[in-house]
Amino acid sequence: MKKLLSHMGTLGIYGVAVLLLVVGRVVSADFLTAENMLTILNAVALLGVVASGMAFVTYSGHMADLSLPSVMAFSGIITVATLSLGLLPALVCGVLAGMSIGAMNGFVIGRFRANPILWTLAVAFFMEGFMRFTWSNNQVYPDIAPGSAGAAFIGIFRTDIGPLPLVVVVMLLMLGLGQLVMTKTRFGRETRFVGSSRAAAVTSGIHVPRVVMLNFLVAAFAASVAGVLITSMNKLGVFYLGQGYDFKAVTAVVIGGVMLSGGRGNMLGVLGGVLVIGLLTNIMTFMGITSFRQNIVTGIVFIVVVGLQQYRLRAGGRSSE
Amino acid sequence: MVYTLSTLEITTRGSSSLNDIGIALRMEQVSKQYPGTLAVDHVDFEVRAGEVHALMGENGAGKSTLMKMLAGSFDDYTGQIYVGNAPVELRSPAEACDHGIGMVYQELSLAQPISIAENLLVGRLPTKPGGFVDRGKMMDEARRCLQQVGLEHLDPSMRIEEISQHEAQLVEIAKVLGRNPCILVMDEPTSALSREEVKRLYEIVRKLRKRGLAIVYISHHLSEIFEIADRVTVMRDGRKVGTEDMAGVTPQSLVQMMVGETIDEFYQQRHPDLGDTVLTVDRLTRHGFVHDVSFSLRAGEILGVAGLAGAGRSELARVLCGLDPAHGGSVILDGKILKPNDYPAAVAKGLVYLSEDRKLQGLFLRLPVSWNILASLTAKHSTMGLYGGARDRSIVEQQISSLQVATASSEEDVGNLSGGNQQKVLLGKWLAKGPGVLILDEPSRGVDVNAKRLIHEAVMALADQGAAVLLLSSDLPELVGLSDRALVLREGHLIGEISKDQMTEESVLLAANGELPKGGDA
Repeated sequence: MKKLLSHMGTLGIYGVAVLLLVVGRVVSADFLTAENMLTILNAVALLGVVASGMAFVTYSGHMADLSLPSVMAFSGIITVATLSLGLLPALVCGVLAGMSIGAMNGFVIGRFRANPILWTLAVAFFMEGFMRFTWSNNQVYPDIAPGSAGAAFIGIFRTDIGPLPLVVVVMLLMLGLGQLVMTKTRFGRETRFVGSSRAAAVTSGIHVPRVVMLNFLVAAFAASVAGVLITSMNKLGVFYLGQGYDFKAVTAVVIGGVMLSGGRGNMLGVLGGVLVIGLLTNIMTFMGITSFRQNIVTGIVFIVVVGLQQYRLRAGGRSSE
Repeated sequence: MVYTLSTLEITTRGSSSLNDIGIALRMEQVSKQYPGTLAVDHVDFEVRAGEVHALMGENGAGKSTLMKMLAGSFDDYTGQIYVGNAPVELRSPAEACDHGIGMVYQELSLAQPISIAENLLVGRLPTKPGGFVDRGKMMDEARRCLQQVGLEHLDPSMRIEEISQHEAQLVEIAKVLGRNPCILVMDEPTSALSREEVKRLYEIVRKLRKRGLAIVYISHHLSEIFEIADRVTVMRDGRKVGTEDMAGVTPQSLVQMMVGETIDEFYQQRHPDLGDTVLTVDRLTRHGFVHDVSFSLRAGEILGVAGLAGAGRSELARVLCGLDPAHGGSVILDGKILKPNDYPAAVAKGLVYLSEDRKLQGLFLRLPVSWNILASLTAKHSTMGLYGGARDRSIVEQQISSLQVATASSEEDVGNLSGGNQQKVLLGKWLAKGPGVLILDEPSRGVDVNAKRLIHEAVMALADQGAAVLLLSSDLPELVGLSDRALVLREGHLIGEISKDQMTEESVLLAANGELPKGGDA
């Protein structure tokens, strides 16, 4: 029973998902088809990849990494710019470039206890300026002549594995791997300790700066993977490609049951959160609600969920931190 | 009715001798119940106008609770309080303030980036029509307040962060005096002051006494009490032991009143089997807190560290184990110099620290008991890098049963447990690791007698198995009962050592006040 209760957060989000399936069916007869379900999965795949990394930052008690959109754009641009080295080296360069931002974030926030929100906001601002300046405000195009590395690169997003697009498989892999790391490894356990109480983690002999560093590195890794994929999808690299993924990812993470205060939640919930956002967006599109108004709804959902979490914490008398 | 200094002066003028000035404050049979304990138990307490009345007692004796009652912190105390001769209700801080009670706390309550004047007059800033602050009037009033504490040389428009710590302490007093209290409570007012500054504070206190204020002076320092107080009231275990004229007491008799009768059967006699030296501390220094401290610790030994509040016990422990940086000296563990300021490395080598504040620093309140116990073991016990499973569960179950932690299950959040059980879990975290050197900082603060006994038994068992224990405690029976010998810290210096046969609660308390037993020199 206790176990069941502790999983309520996770189960709850799937309850919401089922409810949305019913609502969607009511809204449109075309909603509950295999094709539309696949469309939804495809639409949220990139979000899921970013959320799988963002979840670690939230879980570690650092709320959000707002620099992830710029990490996405940067890794994509670097991949395109290094395609002359061959596809694999370019992918490695792109992902490493993105992760270097995460390493910097993790070092500053872990070592000097910079405010994670303000610091990553500043980094995002800096990176946008840096990318616009370096590439003169231009988009960066790969050479997509048949047989070139560029052609192979833009093919990545368009690959299917069995019935599923590659991006969906990547999302499921990242979330699955994330679940394993979060719950079964030393790093995952130490992240939970740091997220639950930084001071207690310090006095327990946990190397807190290192754990924090790794969390931001993991987040940047996931965002870099998503950045490569979104660049492949758009067939070009440009500074604004990741826009909006910061807030959407935190929303997915938080409605998936990962507490903004840290230390609670899991990847199964994050997957649920990602699916709920996908379903909600899809239904609103069916209803003819424009994307700006969809943002309004997403914002309201976030506020309500965070409000409920805080209320539950207070009701439990555990908001003493 | 608002009681201020001026109303009191009228009574003063009407009377001839000092003793007739009258009672400024009288508490009759007051009690305060906390869940589980009667923190103040039917206490009678009175303070005369124009006297400095010292309030003494060990930690947990109830003096802070009694003073909080006076400050209006509780709306559920029982008994009757009189200010002057009128019965009053002090159920809120505002009521306490209205009846002329002023509190000077140990921690500064001043806002750093704001001017002295605004801090002094917070909540009652003089205004002009339209709600604008009347700056001229504010500065005049602030200067008047500063004058009362001998700080007339300060410009009240300076910000708090621009003045020194001791000046800030005096501004704090000026802030309280600005409200014209007739009763002034000072809680360890000298803790942030140097010797010279303490003398200035005495002068101010004497001046206030002359003006007819009733002053309650809380301090652990016997020397201060003998310097400044007219009478002293001693509390123990929530009750009043007695009130005496200072002329009629000696340090020894005061200490005797504070510690009471010692019940020794609580601690069974240990016959430590001492092994090799495992920890050597060599001239360890942290500026302002720990000065040139050297000692060594042997396997199987429980070494106590005695000292008054502010003597630098926790600071010594934190710099020793690497939680805080050292400015000099070294720590040698098992023959090897420990890397300074690297606590994770020290823990990996078996030197661990049980922190004093379990709620803020020790426990993960929102995590289950099991996770808290396993927190020290993240570096160990993995199967191919993966965690969880039967071995973890058996470690947790073993600690829960051996420390008799009362919890519904090992998956209950620690935050839902009682204080005593929380403390057991905190200890269990380190016992699960099997440390070579265990530093305990107030291991049984705020726990019930049963939990205390279990904790003590566990600590003794650990030492019997060959671990070295450094015990920092302000709980005298605990310190005397457990320690094989004790170091005495005073103002960050190691001033001496007390051997087992010299160790009594009296000798430890006197030593902490600077009076070492004969032949007890380190």
